[in-house]
This record gives sequence, structure tokens and C-alpha cells, in this order.
Amino acid sequence: MSEVIDARGLVRRYPADGPPVRAVDGVDLVVEAGETVSVMGPSGCGKSTLLHLLGGLERPDAGELRLGGRRVDGLSETQWAIFRRRSVGFVFQAFHLVDELTAVENVELPALLLGVSRRDARRRAMGLLERLAVAERAGHLPDRLSGGEQQRVAVARALINEPLVVLADEPTGNLDSRATGDILKLFAELRQARQTLLIVTHDARVASTADRLLTMRDGTIVAQTRLGSGASVAGILASLADLGGDG
Amino acid sequence: MRDVIMSLLAKEPAHGYELRQRLVKALGPAGGALNPGQVYVTLSRLERAGLVEAMEVAQPSHPDKKVYELTAAGRERVHQWLADVTWSKVAPVEFHLKLVVAAATRLADPVALVDAQRLELLRELHQLQELALEEPADADGALLLEGAALRLQADIRWLEVCERRWVERESR
Amino acid sequence: MRSLRLAVRLALRNLRRRPAQGALLLLTLTIATGVLGVATSVYGSADAPWDRVWRATNGFHVSLGVYHPPDEPGNRAFVAELRRRSEHLATAPGVIGVGGPWTHLYGSIEVGGGSEDLTAEVRDPGPYEVDQPLVTSGRWLGEGGGVVLESGLAATLQAGPGDTVVIQGRPLPVRGVASTVSRGRFPLSRPAQVWVTPETARQLRDLGMTEEGFELQLRLADPEDAAEFVAAHSLEATDPSSAVIAYMETWQQRRADSHSDIDILAGTLFAAGALIAILTVATAAVLITGRMATQLRQVGTLKAVGVTPRQIVLVLLVEHLAIAAGAIAIGLGIGRLLAPRIAATSVTVLGTPEPPPLTWARVAMVAAVACAVVLLGTIRPALRGIRQSTLRSLAAGPRPPRRPGRLARLAANLGVPLPGVLGIRSAWRRPGRLLTNAAGLLLGVAMIVVALALRDSLGLLSLKPSEPGHAASDAAVGILYDQVRAVILATAGLLLVLATINAIIVATFAARDAAGNHAVLRAVGATPRQTVTALVVSQLGACAIAVVVGIPLGLGLWSLMEGGDLPQVSVSTRALVLLAAAVPVVFAAIVSVPARLLARRPVAPLLTYE
Repeated sequence: MSEVIDARGLVRRYPADGPPVRAVDGVDLVVEAGETVSVMGPSGCGKSTLLHLLGGLERPDAGELRLGGRRVDGLSETQWAIFRRRSVGFVFQAFHLVDELTAVENVELPALLLGVSRRDARRRAMGLLERLAVAERAGHLPDRLSGGEQQRVAVARALINEPLVVLADEPTGNLDSRATGDILKLFAELRQARQTLLIVTHDARVASTADRLLTMRDGTIVAQTRLGSGASVAGILASLADLGGDG
Repeated sequence: MRDVIMSLLAKEPAHGYELRQRLVKALGPAGGALNPGQVYVTLSRLERAGLVEAMEVAQPSHPDKKVYELTAAGRERVHQWLADVTWSKVAPVEFHLKLVVAAATRLADPVALVDAQRLELLRELHQLQELALEEPADADGALLLEGAALRLQADIRWLEVCERRWVERESR
Repeated sequence: MRSLRLAVRLALRNLRRRPAQGALLLLTLTIATGVLGVATSVYGSADAPWDRVWRATNGFHVSLGVYHPPDEPGNRAFVAELRRRSEHLATAPGVIGVGGPWTHLYGSIEVGGGSEDLTAEVRDPGPYEVDQPLVTSGRWLGEGGGVVLESGLAATLQAGPGDTVVIQGRPLPVRGVASTVSRGRFPLSRPAQVWVTPETARQLRDLGMTEEGFELQLRLADPEDAAEFVAAHSLEATDPSSAVIAYMETWQQRRADSHSDIDILAGTLFAAGALIAILTVATAAVLITGRMATQLRQVGTLKAVGVTPRQIVLVLLVEHLAIAAGAIAIGLGIGRLLAPRIAATSVTVLGTPEPPPLTWARVAMVAAVACAVVLLGTIRPALRGIRQSTLRSLAAGPRPPRRPGRLARLAANLGVPLPGVLGIRSAWRRPGRLLTNAAGLLLGVAMIVVALALRDSLGLLSLKPSEPGHAASDAAVGILYDQVRAVILATAGLLLVLATINAIIVATFAARDAAGNHAVLRAVGATPRQTVTALVVSQLGACAIAVVVGIPLGLGLWSLMEGGDLPQVSVSTRALVLLAAAVPVVFAAIVSVPARLLARRPVAPLLTYE
């Protein structure tokens, strides 16, 4: 069984004036190992809530959730925290680095929590930072880093314990186009390295890096599309480039 | 195409094969879409229009090459073209009309059309980005791919707007 | 002027929107102003009753007393010389009335099973130009013998006209009881005093009482000239080899010396009020800083719109000074209400104590303390908030972090678990808050040390056998010490309560500040218990400082208070060690409550960017 995520009938409700709002209204979702899946939808469709449910930041009101084969929808806060260390890496729109730790200390934090020795944790963290081309900022506090650098540090932090899945919530939302391009390349590399990745986004460029695209509306998944197959590229380019016309 | 070929001759004369090489290099992966004969056809048209002239050049162990050179009129055209700021294909007219017609004639559901088109564009964007990975970052071709991707992104955004608008219209 | 009115309006609106914080500040300020208010109303509350008796008895303006040890007759010639000189003094310019000179006899009287020193003042029945004692029961001296008791003595003996007192071993009838201002009230003022006629005096001399001196009392045309008169006619004993003491005293001096218990009580209350005020500064600073943090965005917006920093500070000051004004009024009111009740326990007051009229000086003193607290607590956070660039205020968020300190690195190297290291990091980031919280705690700790020492010392005091002749007054002094001890213990209690409030407020604000970071920590796998531990550890730094500085401070304060009649005592090391161990434990328990409550909040909303 190579299913990293297996969600059935996930429901999450919020109280409101009148009947409670169903932010996630019965979602079934399977993500295989090594897949990159993106989730798109209008704002308010529940895609962020779905991500929170998959990572244990919120508890479902109904439904079952299995990560790596283990049943997790009933775990307590403490059990989730311990599980997350090993199995889930988060990347947030607002980066959410601990502002009183330096970049490398932020990255090694999950490893230290897992019980890795300080030396090994530091080594792993520096290795990741180098891979992500942000190693010379390792000793800086987050408020001295640009948005793109902070997000790369956040990705390194998400990867340090080689998690089952990386969950990204609008990872390019706060980035300029150049930094977005860097993250796109990064996700493409992760995809090639067969890291399981689930990205919630409304940026088409980010969403289209995935193998599979899910479209959400009003709390449910309304469409699933494989993106890997399609027209030849040259043809696309030709039609875009409009090369045949008279000068 | 004509203006591009003429500009390539502005610095120094060249023959057809060289011109084709240069074009392919500038286009990167899109160069594969270039029709092999296109360059030569364009050159003869330009010669007939008096914008370039051809010269025979003798080569020691090969057949004679035809080398092309810009005329004064050609040079004038090149300057005008470089200064021209017309932008092609700003509005997605054809698809827009497709939706209007589909709604009016009830031949198809506009929202379904938009959804299908959007998914197709996303697929294309996916392929484009795969291609872009193989291209070195500072190649000219990479810039062209970036332009294509951004246009696709813009078109997808427009399609999302279309979807919202047509969904509203349906619910009325 | 217009900006002031605008500031007032904004201030009132802010107060109405956040009544809880304003009320908390008012409460802590009122504790300080209340204690100070009681102190100002107690101090001098014996003056009005004293003045009444002084006027009613035609009290002295200048008094001259001569004393010689009872067993040395060789001084007699010198004493006679002094007597002549004093009689000459009675004719000095400015003198309009003379009383005496009256002879004083020295002996003993039985009080409460023990014997006390006694002075018998020998007078003929009178009337007198100066010092006509006010008879409160029975009759004054006259036919039929008997003694008139000074009112304090009568109260201690619970004796009245018709009862007998035992003087020099012989029971004598009591004729009456009278009040005077020429002596302080027994038993805090010693020796005990009775008045006798010359016939009774002869009896007493036969019983063994000896002559010890005399007293002369003068009234001047203008009572305010008393000090000048004494300076001009000073009559010190000029022969240093003799043991004869002669001195002159003004009525103001006597009044000031007559109420030592009130003075000590007021002094203790002032000291307590000062300590509480210091702690209130810390609490106010924490409250206001916390409030500034939440208002920082408002400050930024105001600045972006064009409001000047000066106007912002003005609004803040108006708000907090308004609260201070409320605290001052309430504190002074409490003072006037409670002071008579507290001062009534005094044994020296000649009647019902009256809080002295509220002079501007007294109001100003309390007001100055309250305003100082507010200013010290407001200025620094306000200035910091304003100096921050507008952009940063708008972006909102707590102060930017500092470079991690050596201590945190050391802790990590020593293998302190991760939550502990993170906690130390957090604490290092806000040194100002750390110190403020530490200041609050360490006063509490110091006062506990003082209270421990005082309890031991006073315990020893009550065990000490009283010197012969001082039994009753020692008992009265014991009561005074009990009162002082009660005040000190109450102060220690108040300081502890304030320190606890302080700790809870600081912990709550710290938890709120850390909420964002803790949410992130939870997202990467820290358990709720780990984040709570980090928070508690971050606050323990203040606790450590409080113990390390507070215990020596307490010992130092005690050594200042020692001496005099308080037996020397050193607080047992075991008690100090227990204290040093108990404080962090109790503190951690207190701090973990808001920490845990705030950790229960859901994490997801803090991480969402909506």
C-alpha cells in the first residue's frame, strides 16, 4: 500500500448565525507516494481547511484519515505533534519561521524535537540550506531575510525529517515573481525526487507543476485532472508564437 | 517573419542556412516548430519586393551560395519595424465569441466550455514548465518559455473570471 | 489647548472601551495610595486632641526641668542654685504666667503585679497659672489626702476615685484622675506620674521616696516665641562632672515626642506604602506595556495620518493620569476613614484621634507618588511605541528579536531540553519585562525575609523578662510591636498579592506574545506541554533574579531595622533555603495557569493568512 494520504468523508463545520457552515463537506482523497497533487478553488472553498485537516492542525468533525497507513483522525494534540515531527512538513503562505531563531536553527528544530543529536541536526540543516541555495543566510534571523529566502528556509525545515508528505498552503502567496520562480523550480525538483507533495494554491503556475489537479468548490472536490499528458509542446508554442503571419 | 529576417541581415549579409540557424537558436524549443522551407520562401518574397538583394558567392569545394543583403529600402523598413510598438493578439476574441454563441444558441454550456478550456491550458502549462526545466536559465529560449507561461497564466486567470461571470448569469 | 481637549476625549473613549485594564490599574494604584493615605491621616492624628487638652489646661509654652540621681545628695547646692536661676527666669520679658517650680519625688508604684518607677509631683491645691490638669474623674488635690493619678496610669491600673494604689508598698486612696500635656501618657511615657499635696509628700518621703528634681512651666505672650525663648535663656547644666541634668523644652517639642506609637505606626505605614508604590510601578508598567503592544497598530495608523508623537503621548498620559486621580481620591478617602480606627489603638492619644486636615502638602505627597508611578510606568512604553517607525507599527507584531544570548547557547550545550532552551531564548528577548517582573517578585521575597526575622525577633522580645520597674510599659511596648508586626505582615501579604497579580499579568501577556511562535512550534511537532514548559521557563528567569537579589535585600532591610529594643536575630539558613526553593515552585505553578489556558486555543487560526 503506497498511499500516503487516504481520506474518506472528511467533514469540518464552523458555527455561524443559523446552521453551521460546512467548510469541508465530505471529501475523499487519495495521494500516492511520490505524487505531487495541487488543489485549486475560489477563496472560501475550503482548500486551506482541508490542508489543516490533513496535517492535524484542525480536527475533522466526521470522516476517517490515514497517513502512511496509520489512522490519525482521532489523535490527541500531543500525539499529533509527535506524529507530525516525523511525517508531515508544512509550508505556509506567511512562512511562519520562529522569529527568535536563526535560519539554521529554524530548520533543525523538527529534527531536535525528533531526538536527533544536535550535531546531526545541524549537519542535516546546513545540507538542506545549501541545496536550496540559501546557506550563506544560515546565521541570520528571519527579519533579515527576504520573502523568497524565508520561504526556502521554511521548505528546508519541512524537509529535514524526510517526511511522508509536505503540505504547502499558498506557498507563493507572499512572494514576488522572481521568488515564485525559485519556488516553482524547487517544487519541480522535489517532484523529480519523488517527495510526496500536496499544494493548495490559486496560482495557476504553481498548480500546474503537479501530476494531478483537484478543483474544490463549496467544500467538496468537483474535478480531478491528470496534468501529465497532453498536446505536444512545440505545437503549443507555434500557435502562441504566431510565426506564420505576414510581417 | 519578413521583418525578423530583414533585421537579421541588417548587421551583415548572410545566406539562408545561417539565418535559419540563428532563428532556431533564438526560439529555443519553439524552434522545432519552424518550417524548414519558411526562411527561403520569405527571402525570395523579400527579393521580389526589392527589400533585399542576392549575390552569388563562389566557394572552393561547394556549389555557389546565395548571400543576401539589405537594400536601402529594406534598411528603412527595419528601422520602422524596430520602432513600431504594435502588440499582437491582445484580446482572446475567438474564445469569447465561442461562449456568447454557445449561450445564445444553447449548443453547449458556457461554464462547461470554460472548465474544459481551463484544464487544457493547465495541462499545457504543466508541459511548458517541464520543458523549461531542461533549458538553461540564461538561454534566450528560456525567456520565450517564461513569456509563454505567463500568458497562459493570464489566460487561465481570465477564464476563472469568465467562469464566475457565466455562473452568475446562469443562476439568474 | 485644542489638542488637550481632543486628547481628553480620546482618552475617555479609550477608557470606556477597555474598562478591565483601566480597572486593574486603578486597583493596583489604589492599594498604594490607600496605604499612603492611611499613613498621612494617621501621622499627626494625635495633635488635635493634644491641642485641646493643652488649651483646656492652660498648657505650658516653655518647660524647664532639672533632674538629679536620687542617691547623690552632693548635688544639692547645685540644684538649689538652679532653682534660684529658674525663679529668676520666671521674671524674664515675655513671660505672662508661671507654674511651679514643683518638686518631683522618685519611688515605685505597683502596677499589674510588678512594680513601676513613679514620679510624684508635689503641688499645693492651686489654681495654677500654667498647667491646670484637667480632672476627668473624682476631684483635684485638696483636703483629705489621697493622690491624683495621671490618666494613662489610671487606665493601666483601671483605677478610679475610691480605689487604692500601692505606692512604696503602702496602699493610698485615689482622689481623682487628671489629664495633662506636660507629660506623655503612661505606659509609653515613663515613669508613671501622680500628683500629691505637700502633706502627702511628707508621708511619701517617710516611706522612702527621694527628691529627684523639679519642674517649672512658663507661658509666654506669644506661644510661637517659645523656641526663641529657649535659645535665649538656655540653662544647661554647666558642670559636666555632675550628674545633674537641666533642660528646657518647647510645647511643640513635647507634642512631637508624646506620641511615639503613632509616629512609629505612621512611619511603618509610609515605608510600606513606599514599597507598595515601587511594586505598583512594576505592575503598572507591565499593564501599560501590554496595552501598548495591542495598541501599536493604532499608534501606527495615527502617525500615518499625521498625529504627532507628542499628541499620542498626551492621550496616553491623560488616560493614565485620570486613573491616577481616581486612585488618589479613593486612597485619601480610605485614609481618612480608616485612620481614626487604626490610631485609636494607640495608648498615647489624649482622646479620640482625628485625621489632621488635608493640607496641600499631604495631598501633594500622595498625589506625587501616584503620578510618579503612572509616569514611570507610561513614559518608557509610550516612547518606545512612538520611536518605532510608522511602518513597523503598521505591520504590527512584537518587538524584533535580539541575537540569541550566551546563556541560551550554554543551556543548549549543557543538554537542557529543547523547550527549556526556547524558553530562555524568549526571556532574553525582552530584558525590560524580565527585570520588571523580577522587581515585583523580589520585593515580595525581601518582605518575607523581613517578616520571618521580625517574627523571630518579636518572639524573643516577648520572652525577655522585663526589667524591674518597667513591667507595664514593656507590655505596652509589646502591644506596639504587635501592631507594627501586624502592619509589616499585612504589607508582606499585600506585596505577595501584588506580586502574584504581577506574575499572572506578565505571564498572560507573555503567552499572548508567544502565541504566534508557539503555534509554529506546534505545527512542526512540539507538544502542548513543551510549549507551556517553554513559557514557564522563560518566566523563571525573573524568579531566579528575585530569589538571588531578594533574599540578601531582605536581610539588608532587616539589619537596618535591627537595634534598639529589637533583639538581634539571624534568620535561620534552613528557612532561607526553604524559601529559595519554594518561591520558584509556587511561581511556576502560578505562571503555568495562564500558560496552559492559552495553550488550549486552537492553533490553525494563528497560522492562517486570511
